[in-house]
Amino acid sequence: MYDQTGLPPVLEVEGLCVGADLPEGMKPILQDVSFSLRPREILSVIGESGAGKTVLARTLASWLADPLKVTGGSAKFRGTDLIKDPAAARKLAGREIAYVGGNPAGALDPTMTVGAQLVEKLRAVRPEIPAAEAKQKAIELLDAVRIPSAAQRFHEYPFQYSGGMMQRAMIVDALISDPALLIADNITQPLDVTVAAQILKLMRDLTGRFDTAVLFICSSLPVACDASDEVLVLNKGRVVERQVPERLISAPQHTYTAQLIRELPKLWDGTEAAPAEERGEPRPIMSVRGVAKHYTAKNRAQGGTNVVQAVRNVEFDVFQGDNFGLVGESGCGKSSLMRLLTGLERPDAGTILFEGEDIGSARPARIRELRRKFQLVLQDPYGSLPPQKSIGAILEEPLKIHRIGDRRERRERARSVMSEVGLSETLYEELPNGLSAGQRQRLNVARAMTLEPRLLIMDETLSALDQTEQHKMLDLFERLQAQHGFTYIFISHDLAMVRRVCSRIAVMYLGETVEVAPNDRLFFDPGHPYSRALLSAAPTLEERRYRPEDCLLEGEPPSPIDLPPGCAFASRCPQAFDRCRSENPGLTARGGRALAACFLNPRRGEETAQTTPETTHA
Amino acid sequence: MFILRFLLRRLAQGALIIFLVSALIFTLLRVVPGDPVRLMAGGMAPEALIEEIATDMGLRDPIPVQFTRYMSGVVQGDLGQSFVRPANGAAVGGASFDDSTRSARAEVWDLIADTAPKTIQLACLAMVFALMIAIPIGVWGGLHPGGWPDRIALYTSSVFVSLPNFWLGIILALLLSVKLKLLPAIGYGGFAWTILPALVLAIEIAPFIIRSLTVSVAQIMGQNFIEIAGVRGLSRSQIIFRHGAKNAAVPLLNLLGVQFSMLLGGVLVVEFIFDYPGLGLLTINAVMQRDFPLIQGIAIVTAAAFVLINIVVDLLSTLIDPRLEY
Repeated sequence: MYDQTGLPPVLEVEGLCVGADLPEGMKPILQDVSFSLRPREILSVIGESGAGKTVLARTLASWLADPLKVTGGSAKFRGTDLIKDPAAARKLAGREIAYVGGNPAGALDPTMTVGAQLVEKLRAVRPEIPAAEAKQKAIELLDAVRIPSAAQRFHEYPFQYSGGMMQRAMIVDALISDPALLIADNITQPLDVTVAAQILKLMRDLTGRFDTAVLFICSSLPVACDASDEVLVLNKGRVVERQVPERLISAPQHTYTAQLIRELPKLWDGTEAAPAEERGEPRPIMSVRGVAKHYTAKNRAQGGTNVVQAVRNVEFDVFQGDNFGLVGESGCGKSSLMRLLTGLERPDAGTILFEGEDIGSARPARIRELRRKFQLVLQDPYGSLPPQKSIGAILEEPLKIHRIGDRRERRERARSVMSEVGLSETLYEELPNGLSAGQRQRLNVARAMTLEPRLLIMDETLSALDQTEQHKMLDLFERLQAQHGFTYIFISHDLAMVRRVCSRIAVMYLGETVEVAPNDRLFFDPGHPYSRALLSAAPTLEERRYRPEDCLLEGEPPSPIDLPPGCAFASRCPQAFDRCRSENPGLTARGGRALAACFLNPRRGEETAQTTPETTHA
Repeated sequence: MFILRFLLRRLAQGALIIFLVSALIFTLLRVVPGDPVRLMAGGMAPEALIEEIATDMGLRDPIPVQFTRYMSGVVQGDLGQSFVRPANGAAVGGASFDDSTRSARAEVWDLIADTAPKTIQLACLAMVFALMIAIPIGVWGGLHPGGWPDRIALYTSSVFVSLPNFWLGIILALLLSVKLKLLPAIGYGGFAWTILPALVLAIEIAPFIIRSLTVSVAQIMGQNFIEIAGVRGLSRSQIIFRHGAKNAAVPLLNLLGVQFSMLLGGVLVVEFIFDYPGLGLLTINAVMQRDFPLIQGIAIVTAAAFVLINIVVDLLSTLIDPRLEY
């Protein structure tokens, strides 16, 4: 076995079996899992959903709930068998064996300050530490995970922390008792790529400093390989392979691993041509010009209201029959923009032309008519379908709303779209609660299709699905596009998906489109430093064209409430200079139908004969 | 700063509510049938005399004029004088319109100030009893949703809620006072007289508290931060008492505010059964005697109490859960 430190192992798992005790009998979840872990070692556990990764993490953290039961094997932590001696295991939990989960949002009591809870936890597991010392330690660690002005943040409540900051706070919570083993269960999953990259780097630094061994549970192979010394591949509850990352990728021993690597989407693969732009018919179906939207929020501290600038200076064209991508991290205004594009809300400024008609100023009745031609498919496969309606009724509802056809025609239409999206017609009378996530998204697409729209807006439609299901859905979209001539707008944070399907891509940062470019141009010659930062942080096994350390400074995006005067990215941009801090660059053409909002691009005012006009606002 | 602004805003809102309540009560009292002067002067008094008294008292003026006169007194702290009750305490009525022994009529404020403390005492004791019954049953039920403690909570509250309070009052009086001679039942002669009515009231409101507690405790205990607290190393009692109870307290506090306001507003039936000299009994008599100023005074004081209790509840909720904004 790969020995990194020569120290005796902290954790030795031997032949561990866990099963679900169901009425129909014991269903095995983990079978004969064995591995060992030494101090300062980071071991990734990777596998698809359902492989038993989280069950493994919870078994080791003494957090198995009914009906899960350990059916065999041992897990020795420094000689103590966690399975045989549950009382000792519970004593170790939180003290020597720390756990960080993937959902930082609800992980702390909302009614107590973060600091008070860190102190409470430390004193719960190590009562001998006085309160003042505990507080000092918490502040030191908050500082170590780079929470700005840690001493003040110590006194803030969980709801005042952003998602990335909460995850850092949870890492502090885990490390505060100086544990020997840290179980990190999907800790980067809910985070944006640039923040996740920062967290991973941090975890490595900290484990080196505190001699902690880390079990890093992860569902993304590139992230796992980036983060760890060794990778353990779990398939259907069994360990199929354990290797160092380089060897795992270059010489996978198990067919499952090989398949996993093969299916991984690539960002800079030249062999498969990127979707080309539709040059034959450059007629925009939707044109967005200078769109802005702000919301007002109550200010608790000083009274009065704050203006949140959710969307500003958004400009792009979507061409007929094209796939347009809109990427950006959470909080960049993607969803606010979606609400504007679909006429759910009206912009404060600018125009949104759909086939030459302004959605932003159209009468409500007209928007309703127009909506037949542009439909929305949402992210959440569970919340977006009414649970008490049969699938047939869900599909017929849009037709009823728009008073199309009689009962028999509507029924036929519903059945035909069901077969088009690959849902069996026998499901017509069923309720949606029996459907899988993938089937639900198919139903969502079918519902959007019944009105025969021209434009489909996909708001993170695929992000709830696993790799295999995503592939199938993308194939379906392609087929539907060929048959019906749909135009798609994909709103997403997944660069690999956008790379595969979109011909033009807009990058958003803090409510602005900072770059609009054809696919190849964005990935090989990005015109905005933020685009480079996104690319540098994207999880991939390929050799990176952009290194994170060159592209991104520490810190989080500024709040959309008090935006800095100049370029919004200036605070995190390694190339920022004085002008960036005082003046907003605005989108500028840089040739080849690409636009970017950065002063570093040479100005090419002569190329304004593009279909996308040059913009002139500060 | 935040608290000051909050209080200012809420007190202003409260003043508006009290004003509206007064206007409503004032108008309604004057449009419903029944002439108070006829009741005061007695059935035998001549019509002309009644008109004279009524004009003297300003009761023949247009309602807005009467209301303005009344409210200008209220803002100076003067709730007016009872139509019926003399200051010396003896209840009068009937043929005493020309009774020379009749002294000045009682101030409404004094009548309320005499009875309100007894009602407050009753309300507080009822609340203490109710919490003593409801907290153990409710929290226990909430910690085991679907289990038998949960069912016990459900059955107890179903039984309590279906006991009519007048029946329960009579049964308890019969049992504890008449048979066992443990507690006094009728009238008021000290703290002991409060216990029996308080017990009846407690059983009446306990089911609501039990229900609210089981639901909110069960909901809080299913939250992510509670589930993960054990993995973080916190002990079971820390999780339940420090985090579970604290989070479950906010909905409970809101319910208690409403219940307490209702208790203060005078619990008519229970005070009547036990002849307990609180606001409830005062209200019943005032209504039966068409004592307009007294009814108005009670309404205003009750509305004010309601407003104040709600402000306190909201303030406490914000202190417990800083995410709340009022």
